[in-house]
Order: sequence, then structure tokens, then C-alpha cells
Amino acid sequence: MKHLKKILLLIIGLYVVTLGLVYVDVYDSRPIISLFKKIQTDSALEVVDFSVEKESVDKVKPAPNKDRNPYYGDLHVHTKYSFDAYVFGVTASPDDAYRYAKGEGIKHPLGYEMKLREPLDFYSVTDHGFYMGMIQAYADTSTDISQNEFAEPFHDINRLDNLTVESAGERSNIFSSVLGATIILPYPDWHPKLLRAWRTKNTQLALKSFDYDIHKSAWADIARSANEHNDPGNFTTFIGYEYTTSTDIEGGNLHRNVIFNSSEASIRPFTRIDSTNPEDLWTWQDNLREKGIDTISMPHNSNGSNGQMFEMETFKANAIDVKYAEKRMRNEPIVEITQVKGTSETHPLLSPDDEWADFEIMDVRVGSRPPTYSKPSGSYVREAYLNGLTLEFTRQGNPYKFGLIGSSDTHTGAGAYDENNYWSKVGLLDGDAENRGSVPLADENVERLEEYMRAFNQPVSTVDLKQGTYANTGFTQWGASGLAVAWAEENTRDSIFKAFKRKETFATTGTRLAVRFFAGYDLSSIDLNSDSLVSEAYAKGVTMGADLLHDGTKIPEFIVWAQKDKNGAPLQRVQIVKGWIDSNSGRPEEKVYDVACSDGNEVDPVTNRCPDNGARVNISDCSITDNVGSSELKTLWKDPEFSPNDKSFYYVRVLENPTCRWSTWDAINRGFEPREDLHETIQERAWSSPIWYIPEQTDVDVIPLGGTIQMRNID
Amino acid sequence: MKYKVTIFFIIGIFLYIIDIGLNSYDDKEIYISDQEITSLVSAWNSRVGRNPTDDEIYRIINNLIEEEILYREALLLGLDKEDRIIKRRLAQKISFLKEESIPNIPTKDEILKYYNDNTDKYFVDETFTFTHLFYSSENNSEERAENAYKDIIKGFDVNADPFFLGKNFVNKTLININSDFGKNFGDYFQNLTVNEWSEPIESPFGHHLIYVTNKNDGYYPDITMIYKKVEMDLLQDKRDQAVKKFIDEVKTEYKVYINPDLQL
Repeated sequence: MKHLKKILLLIIGLYVVTLGLVYVDVYDSRPIISLFKKIQTDSALEVVDFSVEKESVDKVKPAPNKDRNPYYGDLHVHTKYSFDAYVFGVTASPDDAYRYAKGEGIKHPLGYEMKLREPLDFYSVTDHGFYMGMIQAYADTSTDISQNEFAEPFHDINRLDNLTVESAGERSNIFSSVLGATIILPYPDWHPKLLRAWRTKNTQLALKSFDYDIHKSAWADIARSANEHNDPGNFTTFIGYEYTTSTDIEGGNLHRNVIFNSSEASIRPFTRIDSTNPEDLWTWQDNLREKGIDTISMPHNSNGSNGQMFEMETFKANAIDVKYAEKRMRNEPIVEITQVKGTSETHPLLSPDDEWADFEIMDVRVGSRPPTYSKPSGSYVREAYLNGLTLEFTRQGNPYKFGLIGSSDTHTGAGAYDENNYWSKVGLLDGDAENRGSVPLADENVERLEEYMRAFNQPVSTVDLKQGTYANTGFTQWGASGLAVAWAEENTRDSIFKAFKRKETFATTGTRLAVRFFAGYDLSSIDLNSDSLVSEAYAKGVTMGADLLHDGTKIPEFIVWAQKDKNGAPLQRVQIVKGWIDSNSGRPEEKVYDVACSDGNEVDPVTNRCPDNGARVNISDCSITDNVGSSELKTLWKDPEFSPNDKSFYYVRVLENPTCRWSTWDAINRGFEPREDLHETIQERAWSSPIWYIPEQTDVDVIPLGGTIQMRNID
Repeated sequence: MKYKVTIFFIIGIFLYIIDIGLNSYDDKEIYISDQEITSLVSAWNSRVGRNPTDDEIYRIINNLIEEEILYREALLLGLDKEDRIIKRRLAQKISFLKEESIPNIPTKDEILKYYNDNTDKYFVDETFTFTHLFYSSENNSEERAENAYKDIIKGFDVNADPFFLGKNFVNKTLININSDFGKNFGDYFQNLTVNEWSEPIESPFGHHLIYVTNKNDGYYPDITMIYKKVEMDLLQDKRDQAVKKFIDEVKTEYKVYINPDLQL
């Protein structure tokens, strides 16, 4: 009896001591972490083979093309497994999403069919890793987890008779409660589950609102579906998910999509519950790579990051150093520059001399309530490229040497890429023209919208204009965009993934135009009218995403070749955007050069601009001027202001003739005039990954007065 | 005679009373079969990825019971009359029942028959290997292509423009070809002669002379290679057909009246 008491006390004592150590380990990780290495396992590093057995028919496959083909796809697609998509009424599964990408029609939550004009070449379902699959379990009233109070608002939300436009208000409120993290309920500190969570490095287990089995089974279904639909030679899929993190204080969006180059993947996604610091995501990716699993992560919506996606310091506000830059670039070779929620190339305040900078700009932080302004500096790609050069100038390494893709971020399983076939992205909330704000609200809907938007912490939600009262909830800043394009030898997972890693990619706003881009010192010896143009350019130069090393004082030459979308508007012009820093001061500069004009027009050498080609849009029926614009544009270009000592980058921007924007199509298709405070037309476009010019090493030591730039670990 | 009828009448009443007495039917009792529960549990498992806990089983059953109670109370109130949602649900239900009545494992003969009836579905597409001469619409493509065609069939060398996607295409299906060259471009490939130049064909990019060097005929794969796929398709087809067959069978029994003068 006496012994029993002692043992009992000992057990309690041990438990308290362990908890104490764990507490120190979790909150101040340095001193004793190694003590636990042996008993801790990392559940996020457990690798599972998700491959499925498939019968294979003896098919002749298209032969690989050594000059590479452009393959079009979308690497940012949500289905019912995403916490928000489910709240938006989406019941489409990953299988539905892949069927859509292959050309089949699937149903929008409002009941209409969504179908592509032409199938895509690759697709990746990337549901939010955070709470993946959980909301569906809250809605199912038979699960244990649904019995909790926090799950009650979710009960049966997507039952057939609950899928109505009228439910949008309540859905918005539920959504904001998820965003407000009210569903994240940790167990108390003494709870044994905490110990298990700590031992397997799986914080999620310490949450009452989380069921690990349900989570794993959702992830397994996503992985299975991707492998099921992968068809080498014809259609490529990637197992993927979204790492949905943000900064604590300003709610700066730091979202990234992660895709796997294998049919194997980790047993669960690494999510913001594991860590909100993207550097920890990269560590996880590095560790997976050591196990033979290669992944890349792709930031998106830097435009809504309030300047924090491309900061001049790390997440923890330390100085960026070479190690950080290398780690970031090893794991994040490409960035999503365009999607439904706006473009992230540049902003009129950052590029005042660029006439095309004011293009599909979304000026608020992602998911902010009420909608809150997002600071442009630090949020846009072109400035990040310049800042990367500056960081390199101060010997901190260049963490912003990434290539470009577009994608949709649809939450319905089906990307909307056509202006004239548009359903935006958040299901019941913006699936009809009234709620997206492109046509006036019916009288009975005005009050309803205002009421629920007030509850959704958005005091102003309508605007009175010429034709009536319009919804003004932010959806008018969204658009029908975009696509990721990879230059690859063949349509296989490995070939396309390798293109991402070498950044041989470009982004489009949904159009399927294509662009090639080469740089070298002897490209003028290539006959632009020869069939061997491409193979010679590959042999004599470098292509998009690559570095061009200095060659004495030789001036680089560039070949650009763009082809229009066979179903789209003709091309208007091709531009090269150059950014560089002065080799003495590190001062950033940028300039936009038109390099090829449609209809045989010449670039004005003083303004570097093409003349107006006369292409117009008839707003009453969206028809465009006939016989103006080009089916292809091709040119050799030499930088007229080249300085061999300046670190520089060059990327291509291809512009189509103007066409109607989705909001104009919405209006005229329903018998209204386009809303007067929106752009009536847009110029669909493509952006290539840059080519970086690397001058001879002339870096100076930059030492600010009164201190040093501390991070000088070169090599 | 009259007496006999009365006797039968009395016996009838007697039997009726016995029947009521033996089968006292109470509409406040609910029976749930084992089968019903096991099928609900296995459906739950396939959705969630694990077996339900005891609590969850309890709730699955409880949901079922509550549903039944609410259903009966609603019937008592006559809520099932003329309600579109209910009609739709019932229609779904009968479709589901008809689908469920299909046995899960079709016989080998059935699968073989289905394959033979639907061979076109499994056709492996033909592919083409070809080269082409391209004339860009940027530069008077129609006339240049016409002239080039005249020259090339006489055996002269001709010049052409480089095409964005290249010159030679190996093992492309019609879908690939339409995707690279635009809708309807594949029409030519339906009736071509191998190793012969085509007349100019227009694409959204200009004009093309095409020379097909090889055509891999499409073929019907052996059933052993796609056995599982055929089996799945057959099951899906049976499910679809079950409902259709049922509708077809009973449709003739209905007469439909619609006001022909309705203005919408």
C-alpha cells in the first residue's frame, strides 16, 4: 500500500516534470531540444506510397520534343476538402476537379454547368492543408467532432436544400468565424493528448476541434485522385496542397502551394498549425528531399500580403543572409503572379512610368475583415526582383530569383479562365452576376446583402450608380485568370516538374498565347526565318528562368517569339521589362521596352513604344476590330542602354488586343450596360520568367554608418 | 343460399378480428434491421476513413430514429402532399433503389458482351506523324502557300516560315492536332494519303502544306488489357440503365396533360 502511494506520487511527479520540460522545449526551443530527439518522431516526415494500380493499354505516345512544347495547366485548385470551399457550398471532389480539367462538365454549387472550351494539360488539386477535410466532418452530424458546440453552425450546410444564394450571408459569417480561428480549441495544458502531440511533432493532435483520422483520409483521397488521373503523355497531375500561413500582426498573406513530384507523399500536409513561419516549411521540404521526395512551394497573392511576401528581412525580422536566400530559392523556384484575386506583377505606385501597370489590381489584404488596404511595396514581383538584386549587392544573397506562373485559386474545383464564361471562385458567394457586382441588385436583395455584410464586418457593401444599386463587396476586383505554362519535352509529371525547377515557365491571364525567350551573345547569327531557330537558340543562348553570365563587355542579344491563342484575340505588342541596379550605388531602376509591334509597325526609338494599331472593342456586343493585330510576333532585340557592370533582369510581357472584361460580358449578357466605375475592357497578357544578367563580381562591402550589415556570410 | 352467404360473412368478420388481434399494428413502433445498421456503418467508414466509435454508432442510429419519427409526424400532418422537394427526394430514392438492386459482380459473359457492344468506347485513337510547311498570316500566307504547293508537287524546293510549335510532329492524335493547330484542322487527317503533300490548309496562324509520313491505325485493345475498366463501366451503365428501364416500363401507363396555350 505504501509502495503504491509512492509509485503514484512518482508517476505524477514524472508527469509534471515531463510537462515542464516539454513546456520549455516548445516555448524556448534551444536548451534541451536534443534531449528529446530520440523519443520524438516527426509525423509530417512519414512517407506514404499513394500510387494506384492501373491497367495500361498499349498506346502510341506523342514523341518527346527536344525543342520543348508549352503545356498549360492550373496548380491552384480547391475542392470540398478545403475548410472555406465547403462553407461556400462546394461539394466537388478532387475526382470532379480532374474530370473538369480533362474537359468534362461539372456542376457549380448553384446548379449550372462549368466546362472548359479546351482541356488542360496538367492540373493540381491544392486544398488548404489547415483543417483539411474537417468542415465536411462538422457538417456530418453523426461524427464525434460534430457534437461540439463549435461545429453546430456547420451542421448539414451543404445538404441539397441548403444550397441557395440566400444562404450566402450565413455562410460568410461562418467563414469569418473560421478565419477568426474560433474553431481552434486547444486541450488544456495538462491533457495527455498534448504529450502525444509533442512526441510526434503534430500540434493538431492537441486540438479538440481536430480529428486526425478524418484529416488523413481527406489527404489520402486527394493523393489517390491525383495518381488515378495522372496519364503520362496525355495529362499530368500533382499531389498538392496549400500551406495557408500569414503574419500574426498585420494578417499579411504568406500563402503557398506545395506540389510533389511523385506518387509518394508525406502522410499529412505540413500546415500553419505546425508553424506559421515559411522557413519551417522549407526545412520540412529539405528533409523530405533527403528522403527522396522532391517538392516545390509557390507563393501566391503577394498583392494581398501588405508588403510581407517579399520583405527585406525574414519572417522573424532578422536580416536576410545567403543561407536564407539559398534555402528559399531551393524550395520556391516559381511564384504565382496572377489568379482570380488579381495580378502581382507591379502596381501603379511602384511603376508610375509603366502604362500597363494598372491591370487587374486587388488592393486589399487577402481575407481581411473589414477589407483593409494592402501596402504595395513588398507585395509585387517586379519590385521583388529589384530588391533581390539589391540584397545581392549588399552580399545577402538573392532570395527573389524566381520564375513565374499563373493559376486560378478556384474554390469550386473548376478554374474560370474565360472572360465570357466566368463564375469567379467562391461558390455560392459570387457565383451569380448580382453578388459579384456586375449587374444591379434586385430591390429585395439590397437589404439582405447589406444586413449580412454588416454582420460580416463590412460596413459598406453596396454602391449606388447610374443603373441602380450594386453589390460592392470586393468581387469586382477579381477576374478570370490565370494559367501556368511549362516548357517541357513531354507531358509527364517529371518533365513538367523539371521545367518548374529550371523556371522555364510563363504565366498567362487565362489566354493560351505562348512565348519563347532566349538571350545570348551570338543570337544575331541565327536566321529568324529558319526552322532551326529554336534549336539554335537553345544551343547558343539561355532561355527564360536562367542566368546569362557576363562575357567581357559584349552586349546581350535577345530573341522573343510569341504566338497568339488560337481561340483568342490577336497580339498587340511584345515588351521586354528590364530591371537593374546601378553598380556603384545599388539604386534600382526599371524600364519597359516595346520590342515588337503588330501589323508590321515599328517601335519609336525615342519613346520605345509601338504606335496605336487601332484595335477597339465594341462595348454593345463585345466584338473586336477585324484584321488588326498579329498571329505571331518575332524579333531580335539588343539592350540599347546596356551597362556590363549592372546586375539586371529581363522578362517578356506579351499583350493581346483589348477585349471585354468579364464584368462587361456579365452586364451585356443580361441586358445592362457595363458598370461605369469598372474597366470595361482588359488586355489579356503573358509574363515570362526573367533571364538574369550576371556581371563580373564587383561587389563592394556595404557598411552603414554606425553599424554593420550583420549577415556577411559569403560563399 | 341466403344462409350460406351469412355464414361466410360472419366467418369473414371473425377472421378479420383475429387478424387485428394477432398483428396489432402500432404506428409508434420503429424497427431497425441489423442490415440497415451495418450498411450505414460501412458507408460512414468509407466516407471518414475509419470505423465509427461507439458514440458515433449511437448517433448514426439515433439520427436514423429521429429521422423516422419526424418523417411519420410529417406524414400525419400531410406535409408530403404537393411538395417539390419531397417529390424530388422520392424520385432520387427510387433511382437509388433501382441502382442498388444491381448485383455488384457481373459475370464474365456479361462483361464480354458489354465490351463487344461498346467497343468504340475503348478504341485507341489513331496517331499521325507528319511534317509541314508553314506560311504565316503575318506575310500573305494564302498566296505564298498556293505558289509553294504548285512548286512542290513539281518537285521544286520551296521556302517556308518556321512554325512556333516546330516542324515535325510525331505520333499525334487528332485531339493533339486540333489543340496545336486549331479546331477543325484535323479534318484533313480523316481522308489523307500518306507520303503526299496536302493543298494549303488554313489555321488561325496562317496556311500549312502537310505531309504525313506515317499513320498508326487506331485499334480495339484486347479485353484482357482493360478488363477492370470494362467491368466498372458495365456496373455504372447498369445503374444508369436500371432507372431508365424502369421509367420506360411504367411511362406508358401514364397520360400527361399540359396546357398547350400557356404563355411564358
